[in-house]
Amino acid sequence: MVLKSIITGKESDMARSIVQNNIRRLRFEAGEMTQQQLADEARVSRQTIVAIEKGNYSPSLELAFRLAHIFQTPLEEVFKYDPKEDVPGKR
Amino acid sequence: MTYQEKQNVVNMFSALLITVIYAWLVWQRQQQGQFDLTEDFRQWGILFLIFIALSVVARIIIQIVFHIGNAIATREEKIPREDERDKLVKLKALRNSYYAFTSGFVVSVVGLALGMPVYWIFIAFVGFGMIAEIIDNGSQIYYYRKGV
Repeated sequence: MVLKSIITGKESDMARSIVQNNIRRLRFEAGEMTQQQLADEARVSRQTIVAIEKGNYSPSLELAFRLAHIFQTPLEEVFKYDPKEDVPGKR
Repeated sequence: MTYQEKQNVVNMFSALLITVIYAWLVWQRQQQGQFDLTEDFRQWGILFLIFIALSVVARIIIQIVFHIGNAIATREEKIPREDERDKLVKLKALRNSYYAFTSGFVVSVVGLALGMPVYWIFIAFVGFGMIAEIIDNGSQIYYYRKGV
């Protein structure tokens, strides 16, 4: 499966999640917030933020809402669900 | 390599080292005739309990040494907090470890049914216990790297 990153525009076969995110852009817009700062505010490790940004981990609903709250933006602005990718046997 | 990955590598090697050293010491005593593990099952029970106690103490010491060594090497004193992703990784790794140990149990029982001596089941428990632990830590490294 090859997905195109929203942030970098690069195609990556590592992107495995059907849920894409805009965290990198939102961090940039929030005054170049670092991954560590975001991790501290969201009460998770920096590695978890890295994994979410890369699409290697889909966070729980609770953490997703927490991230949206930190960026003061609706959840749909942080995470995007692509139904075309959510096909049985495709992942 | 992240803190969790390094910790898993240390756990894997310590499981291997502790088991191999203890098994070698027991083997030496068996050869010297201090006990007969082919017949004396009470002795197996004692050896298992000693092994559990020694493993716990050795692991605590290894973890302390690892944390100090890591803090000196990375100048990072804080242990990363355990979050939902860590818990999910551990849960999936534990599942794999459980499958490995259960398979070992089945192999042991099949061995008994095929006429292997009774002490074989104890040796299989130790061996598959070690393999299960290595699979647990190896799985964690895999999930941390590839994602869950």
